[in-house]
Amino acid sequence: MPGLSIKNVTKNFGTVTAVKDVNLQFNTGEMICFLGPSGCGKTTLLRMIAGLDDPTSGAIRFEDQDLTGVPVHQRNIGMVFQSFALFPHLNVGENISYAMRIRGHSRSECEDRARQLLDMVHLPGLEDRKISQLSGGQRQRVAIARALALNPQVFLLDEPMSALDANLREVMQIELRKLQQELGITTVVVTHDQTEAMTMADQIVVMGKAQVLQTGTPMEIYKTPVDKFVAGFIGTSNLLPAKMSGPDGVHVNGVDLTVGGNTGHFSQGDDVLLMTRPEEVFVHHPSDMNVANSVTGTVTFVRDIGATIEILVDCAGHEVISVLTPKDWPDVKVGDQVHVEMPAAACSVLAV
Amino acid sequence: MQTSALSRYIGLIPSSVMIGAFFVIPFVLILLTSVSTPTDDGGYATSFDLQHFERFLTWFYIERALFSAGLCALIAVLSLLIAYPFTYFLTNFPPRTQTYWLIYILAQLSLSEVLIAFSWQILLSRTAGVANILVWIGVIEKSFAMTPSAGAVVAALVYLTVPFSVLLLFPALSRLDKSLIEASRTLGASPLRTFFTVVVPVTRPAIISGGVTVFVLTLGAIIVPQVLGKPEHWTLSVLITDQAIFNFNMPFASALAVVLLVLSATVIWLVTKFSGKKA
Amino acid sequence: MPTTFSRRRFLGTAAATGAAALAAPSIVSAAQPLKVGTYGGFFEDSFKQFIFPEFTKATGIEVNSVAVPTGETWLVQIKNAARAKTAPADVSLMAGIPRSNGADQKVFKSLDDSKIPNLSNMPDTFKDRYEDGSLYGVGAVSWYITLCTNSDEIPDAPDSWAALWDEQYKDQIGLLGLASNSHMLEVTAATFFGGTDILDTKEGIQQVFDKLSELVPNVRLWYKDEGAFQQALQDGEIPMGQYYHDVAGLAAAEGFPVVSTFPKEGAIVDSGYWIVPEHAKPMDEIHEFINFIAAPETQALLSRNVGTSPVIDPALTDLTAEELAAVSSPKAPIIPRYDIYKDHGNWISDTWSQMIAG
Repeated sequence: MPGLSIKNVTKNFGTVTAVKDVNLQFNTGEMICFLGPSGCGKTTLLRMIAGLDDPTSGAIRFEDQDLTGVPVHQRNIGMVFQSFALFPHLNVGENISYAMRIRGHSRSECEDRARQLLDMVHLPGLEDRKISQLSGGQRQRVAIARALALNPQVFLLDEPMSALDANLREVMQIELRKLQQELGITTVVVTHDQTEAMTMADQIVVMGKAQVLQTGTPMEIYKTPVDKFVAGFIGTSNLLPAKMSGPDGVHVNGVDLTVGGNTGHFSQGDDVLLMTRPEEVFVHHPSDMNVANSVTGTVTFVRDIGATIEILVDCAGHEVISVLTPKDWPDVKVGDQVHVEMPAAACSVLAV
Repeated sequence: MQTSALSRYIGLIPSSVMIGAFFVIPFVLILLTSVSTPTDDGGYATSFDLQHFERFLTWFYIERALFSAGLCALIAVLSLLIAYPFTYFLTNFPPRTQTYWLIYILAQLSLSEVLIAFSWQILLSRTAGVANILVWIGVIEKSFAMTPSAGAVVAALVYLTVPFSVLLLFPALSRLDKSLIEASRTLGASPLRTFFTVVVPVTRPAIISGGVTVFVLTLGAIIVPQVLGKPEHWTLSVLITDQAIFNFNMPFASALAVVLLVLSATVIWLVTKFSGKKA
Repeated sequence: MPTTFSRRRFLGTAAATGAAALAAPSIVSAAQPLKVGTYGGFFEDSFKQFIFPEFTKATGIEVNSVAVPTGETWLVQIKNAARAKTAPADVSLMAGIPRSNGADQKVFKSLDDSKIPNLSNMPDTFKDRYEDGSLYGVGAVSWYITLCTNSDEIPDAPDSWAALWDEQYKDQIGLLGLASNSHMLEVTAATFFGGTDILDTKEGIQQVFDKLSELVPNVRLWYKDEGAFQQALQDGEIPMGQYYHDVAGLAAAEGFPVVSTFPKEGAIVDSGYWIVPEHAKPMDEIHEFINFIAAPETQALLSRNVGTSPVIDPALTDLTAEELAAVSSPKAPIIPRYDIYKDHGNWISDTWSQMIAG
C-alpha cells in the first residue's frame, strides 16, 4: 500500500535552500533511513514530515491524507528527538503518558499504557523514576515509548543513536528494528551513520547537498551506488580511474578487465571509475600466474585482526583495499608485487 | 600546594572585607540599635531591650506588615504575569531584536523609583492624566484623578518591577531547550497547551526566584506607596522611613527593619522549601 | 518647579550637607568667621543673599553659612559634636520639637539677655528659657500654615478649620502627613475644644484624636512633599488643605487660583529659633548676630525677601499693611504644642499613623 509520499518538496531558509525538489514514495510499514552528511537537508525533511517546519513548496501526504499545512499537534506522528527532549519536570510514567493526558485519558488509562510501553521497551517498573536518574540508553527507550504512546501513523527519529556509546548503539539499532517490525509502523530515521542505516532500513535515501542522490534497499545502494559520493558514503570502495574499452570492458593500469555490473549509459572511450568492494577483491601471491581480471600492485600494509585480514595495495598510485578471510590468505608481505583480482561480477563503473 | 591554596585565599580577602564592612557591620549595628534602650538625654544605649519589638506587636503594625507582604506578593505575581509571556516571545525573536529589547529594558532600570512615581502621578492626575484621553474618546464625561489609590500604587509598582522580571526570566527562557516544545507539539499538545504544560513547569525555578526577587525588591519601595497611595497603602518601609527620618526614632526604625528582614527571609525560606519539595 | 517651593523640603540634601558640616573641624576663634546654621535650601540661600551681607556690613563680622537639617537629625549632630567638645555651628536655627528635646538635655548654651537689646521688641512666646529663667532660644523667623483653597473649585473660601470636617469636601482635602508637622491636633483642639489646653493630658489628646479622625474620609492626600500638594492645589485636583501662607501668596501672585485664608480659630504659626550649641566659642559675635536678626529692619528684610512673618511687634517695622498681610495676620495664631510630641511622641506617632491609614 502506498504510505508516505513527498512530492516536489523544497524548503528555503532565507536565501539558503535546505531541501531541493525532493520526490519520495514509500509503502506503509516500511522503515526508511535518511542518510547523509550533516547539512544535507535530511533533518529538515524529517521536520517537514513532522510538521515542525513547513515546506516552501510541494506536498507531503500519508496514504490518502494531505498533511501539508496540518499543524504538528494534529498530525498523528510520534517523534524521537536527538536530545530525546524528555520533560524534566515529569517522571518516566508521566512523560510516556503525556500524549494520553493531553487527549484527556483517565489517570488509570495513562498508567496502564505507560506500564505497557515500558514493558515493550524493556524498562519495566521504571514509571516513578525521575528523568535525571536515567542512563542515556534508558532515556532513549523512554523517548521511544513516549513517541509510540498514541500508536502514531508515522514514527520519526532524528539521529536517535547519536547520544549513545558505540556498543549500546548496535544493541539499540537491532532492538529498534525489531520493535518497528513488530508494530508494522511506517518509520523514518535520520542518520549520518551508514551502518545504522544498513542495519535497520528497508529503504535508504542517500542525501547530499539538499538533494536526494539515491533511493533503494541497502543492498541495491551498496552494490550499485549511482555515483562515487554514494559509493564512498556507503561502505568502503576501491575506485580506480579507467577508460571504457567495450560494452562490458574497461582499460585500467594497462590491462583490460571485464565488468560484470551494469555499464549503462557509458560508451567506448569514456573516462570512468572502476569500483569494487574490498571483500570482493582478492590478492594473489606474486608467484601465481594467470590470475584472470587482475591488476598488479605493491603491498603497502597488512592488517591481520584475526577474523579478517586487510591488505592495502598500491596500484599505480591508487590504493586498493582487500578484505580477506584467513582461508584466502595469499601469504604476502609489505613490498610484494601482487596480483589483485577483481572478478567481473564484483566490478562496476561510475562516472568520474 | 600550600602556597597556591594560600594565594587563592588572599585573592578572596578584599571582597570578603568589603562584604563584611558594607553588609555585615551595618546589619549588626541595626540589630544592636533595635534592642537598644532609650536614655534620659534622648539618645539610646546598648542593651537588650525588646520594647521596640513590643511596640511592633500591635495590630496596626502587624497589619501593616501583612499588608506589605500581601501587596508585594500581588506585585510579584502581576509583574511575572506580564513579564513572562513577553519574555517567552522575546526569546523567539531573532537575536538582534532580542539584544535591542534587552538594552531598552536595561535602560528602563535606570529610571529611579522617584522618577517613576512622579511620572505616574502626572499620568493619573485629573488635569493632565489619561482620564482626559477617556473623556476625549467619549468613554467618560468628566476627567477624574486616579491617584492616590490602590490601583495607582499597584500600576506603578508593576511598571517598576516588570523590567526586573524580564531580565530575571530571560536567561532561563532563552536557555529552554526548544526541542521540549517541539516534542510536546508532536505529542498532540497545541501551542497554548504546550506553554502551560511544558514551558511554564520547566522554567518554574526561574519563575520562583524571579517572584521572590521582585517581592523583596518591592518590599523596599518607599516612594511609590507614599506618592501614589493613601496612608492605608503605605508599606512597612514607609513607616521605617517615617520613624528614622521624621520621628528620629532609630531604635524603633531598626526594629521595624529587622521585622522586615525577618519577613522577607521567611518568605524566601518558605518559597524555596515549598518549591524545592515539589520540583 | 521654582526653588521657592522647596524651602521647607525637609531633610534630603539638607541632612547630607549637615553631616558634611559636622565632619569639618570646627575650631572657632575670633579671627574666624561666625558659623551660622540655617535650613538648607531656600532658607540658606535667602539668608546668604539678603541677610548675611547686611550683617557683615553692619558689624564687620564675616559669616560662614552652614546648611542644617530641620528635623531631629540636627540635634543629634550637635549632641555628637558636644561629646567631642565641639560645635558644628556657632548659632543655628532649630525647629520646635528638637529644640524642646535639646533643652531637656541642656545641650544649648544660655544667653545673656543684656547683650541682646532687641529682645525687648519680641513677645515672650519667642523666648525659650530654661527652668532657671536663663535664655537659650530666641525667635528668628516664623511662618503661618493656613487654610488654602482653589478659588475655581471653591469660590467661597471657608473661614474656619471646621470646613475640613464638612462632608461636602469628601476626598478633596490635602493635609501634612505627620502629626508633628501638620499640627492638626492643635487645630482640632482650637476649633472644637476651645484651645490647646486639652492636649495637656493623654486622655485629652485621645479625645482630640477621636474628633480629628472624623475628617479622615475627606482627606485625599496626606502629603510629605509640598510640591505635590501645591501642584494639586493649583490644578484644583485637591481644592482645599493646609499650606504655607507665604508660598500660597506667591502662587496667587503668579496667577494661580489659590487663596490663603486665616481661619477664625487662627492659623498655625511655626517658627525657627536661634540656639547656640554648648561648645560654641565666639559668644560676643553670637549675641551680636542674634540681636541683629531681631532688629526691626532685619525682620522687615526677612518678610520682604524670605516671606517669613516678623517675630517682633510688626508695628516696629516699616512693613506696609499689604506687605504684612502677605506674611501674617493680626488674628491670634494657634501655637504648636511641641511639648506633647516630646512627652507622648511614640504614642502620638502610632495613633496618627493608624488614624490616617483608616
